[in-house]
Amino acid sequence: MAEFAAGPLDLFCVGLSYHTSPIEVRDAVVLNDEEVARAMEALRVRGGAAEAMILSTCNRTEFYARGARIPDPAGFIAALLREIKGVDLQLQAGKHLYTLREEESIQHLFRVACGLDSMVLGEPQILGQVKDASELSTRLGGAGPVTERLLDTVLRCAKRARSETGIGRGPVSSAYAGVSLAAKVLGNLGEKRALLVGAGEMSALAWTHLKDAGVTQFMVANRNRERGEAFGEKYCSRAVSLEALPVVLPGADLVVSATRAPGAVITESMVRTAMKIRRNRPLFCLDLAVPRDIEPQVARLENVFLHDLDALGQIVAQSLSQRRAEIPRVETIIAEELGRFLKWHRSLAVKPTVTAFRHHFEKIAAEELERHRGRFRPEDVAVAESLAHGIVQKLLHRPTTRLRNAEEDGLEGAARLETVRDLFGIESEGGNAGEAGEHSGQGGSDADRNAR
Amino acid sequence: MHFLVPLLTTMLPMLYGLSVAAYARIYTTEPAESGGSNSHRWGPRVLRAAVLFHLLYLIARGWTEGHLPLVSIYDFLSATALALASVYLYLEMRQGIRTTGIFVLPLVLLIQLVASAYGNAVPATKPLINPIWFELHTLAAVLGYGAFFVSAIYGILFLLLYREIKAHRMSFFFTRMPPLESLGRMNVSASSAGLVLLALAILMGIGWGKAAGLHPFADPKTWLTIAAWCMLGFAVLAYHRLGWRGPRAVYASLAGFATLLLSRVVTDLFVNSFHTFK
Repeated sequence: MAEFAAGPLDLFCVGLSYHTSPIEVRDAVVLNDEEVARAMEALRVRGGAAEAMILSTCNRTEFYARGARIPDPAGFIAALLREIKGVDLQLQAGKHLYTLREEESIQHLFRVACGLDSMVLGEPQILGQVKDASELSTRLGGAGPVTERLLDTVLRCAKRARSETGIGRGPVSSAYAGVSLAAKVLGNLGEKRALLVGAGEMSALAWTHLKDAGVTQFMVANRNRERGEAFGEKYCSRAVSLEALPVVLPGADLVVSATRAPGAVITESMVRTAMKIRRNRPLFCLDLAVPRDIEPQVARLENVFLHDLDALGQIVAQSLSQRRAEIPRVETIIAEELGRFLKWHRSLAVKPTVTAFRHHFEKIAAEELERHRGRFRPEDVAVAESLAHGIVQKLLHRPTTRLRNAEEDGLEGAARLETVRDLFGIESEGGNAGEAGEHSGQGGSDADRNAR
Repeated sequence: MHFLVPLLTTMLPMLYGLSVAAYARIYTTEPAESGGSNSHRWGPRVLRAAVLFHLLYLIARGWTEGHLPLVSIYDFLSATALALASVYLYLEMRQGIRTTGIFVLPLVLLIQLVASAYGNAVPATKPLINPIWFELHTLAAVLGYGAFFVSAIYGILFLLLYREIKAHRMSFFFTRMPPLESLGRMNVSASSAGLVLLALAILMGIGWGKAAGLHPFADPKTWLTIAAWCMLGFAVLAYHRLGWRGPRAVYASLAGFATLLLSRVVTDLFVNSFHTFK
């Protein structure tokens, strides 16, 4: 696809991501909306960029600019980051910052939006982040006809990748796997009661995930009563001691256990009794502790679903391998959408040429008619006009079709287009900016200028 | 109306075939949690059209034959196909879950294919006393069978998903199924509807049989059906009153359904019964 040189994209992407930079560096260069506005302004005013977009997340910060007059984009961005964030990447710019140009930069954006370049393959947040970046760019006046079209295509491509392939299917973190399993067993988690055993970091993380999944009723059981109560206060949970477990267990639909106890905290007999009291309603147990808190025999009880860290790890590995298997399908979608975008971009150069080419001949016919008008009888003028028009149309039919197909024919098409421009002096006439506007919807002259 | 019957006889398997294709696409491309994408709305639409045309077919046949078209085994099959499709459609609309359609609709297609292929000849029927009660009895029985069929399918899906989760597997099937709780509820809902319909069928059948001078209690089919009804009734009661959940409740309902099927097979093949289809 890179062979067609009818209209350069004039686009670069400079950025850093988890591939090139540790978390300290990534954290240090994350830009908020105000900082994005400053960076955008610098790119446009000092860098001369016609269009720009900045994507800044915890895993990557990337600058996309089109039509900029910057000889060393990486150096420019490093200086910009020093100015805005006070982070000096100058010495290590080559190490942290990567620079991609033209189609490579677009392909990269497609891959980022589809989650192929994410730390967790196929994660869904990046799509929203690209969308936000696109909206922010529009709001700040950074978007132009080409970037707007590009971002539309990128977002459509990412949505297609998510709906037509399994790139986003299955949980890829243990905590999320646990919550997904719980929802698969219990249905709507909003009506369920969760019991957290232990008041440490893992319980807090589990609380966050369960809360996000809709759970509203929590209870915490902890060996240290004060610590349990502090946790309960912080996370709106009722706190009880570990000794009260047999009493509170029957009331819970979901148990997450993560203590540092050396042995089992929840025994098989305890769960068996609880199941009798709860009339065999399903009980979902997540054992996130090492060594395990819940006796493994519990898994044999009917309607009790016990998953420990090994089981969750097994599920995560399975999901990741399924997602990896989907990469070729996503790449195919990317190739399709990228091809569609590039075709559109090339058409910005083809259409004005075709119009100017036809205009050239029609103008000659009109001039000749005008020159000889006096030699015709008034009733023959219309016939002469029709004759001249017909000859021009017939002569131009095949060349016009061949020109319109130029974008399909790669290098050969580009050469053909160039020859026509050269032969008929179309370049010097400046083409027809309005034609580009028809494609882009706005700012056609800019798009046309750059496409040339 | 005469021209409609052969036309619809051919159309119905085609429409159900299209529904199967649409639901296969939904199953392969749509996770259970997605709630249904725009591109897949045509699946339920085709199924609704199939059900409507099926009703039209029954009306056309009833109009031309002068009675409810439930005379031959093929009529019974066609009505069962309609009952299955209708019960499924009702549950789908209530629960908003489309990914299970592929497990019900191929059965509907198969049954309707047999009914359409072999059920063209209209057998001569003897005039009945109080035919309306007989027809209502048959209709309730067929709808009841349809409901139990769907219930059994959801029961089997429940057991498969239960095993997947217990074994810590997240297969493709796992991603396509609704929560276990929903499958269990669909199993019991369909069973409950079947129980009511079958109870009506039994009562109307006994009442009509007595009025027609038959001896319903001398027919083994009556007793087998009552036994199946009791088993299915126990399964539903155990779910609501004894708190039976999970595989135990599903096995109980499957046992009841197996008895019901057995009653049909035994009646048709091994015993002398006035319920036998000729």
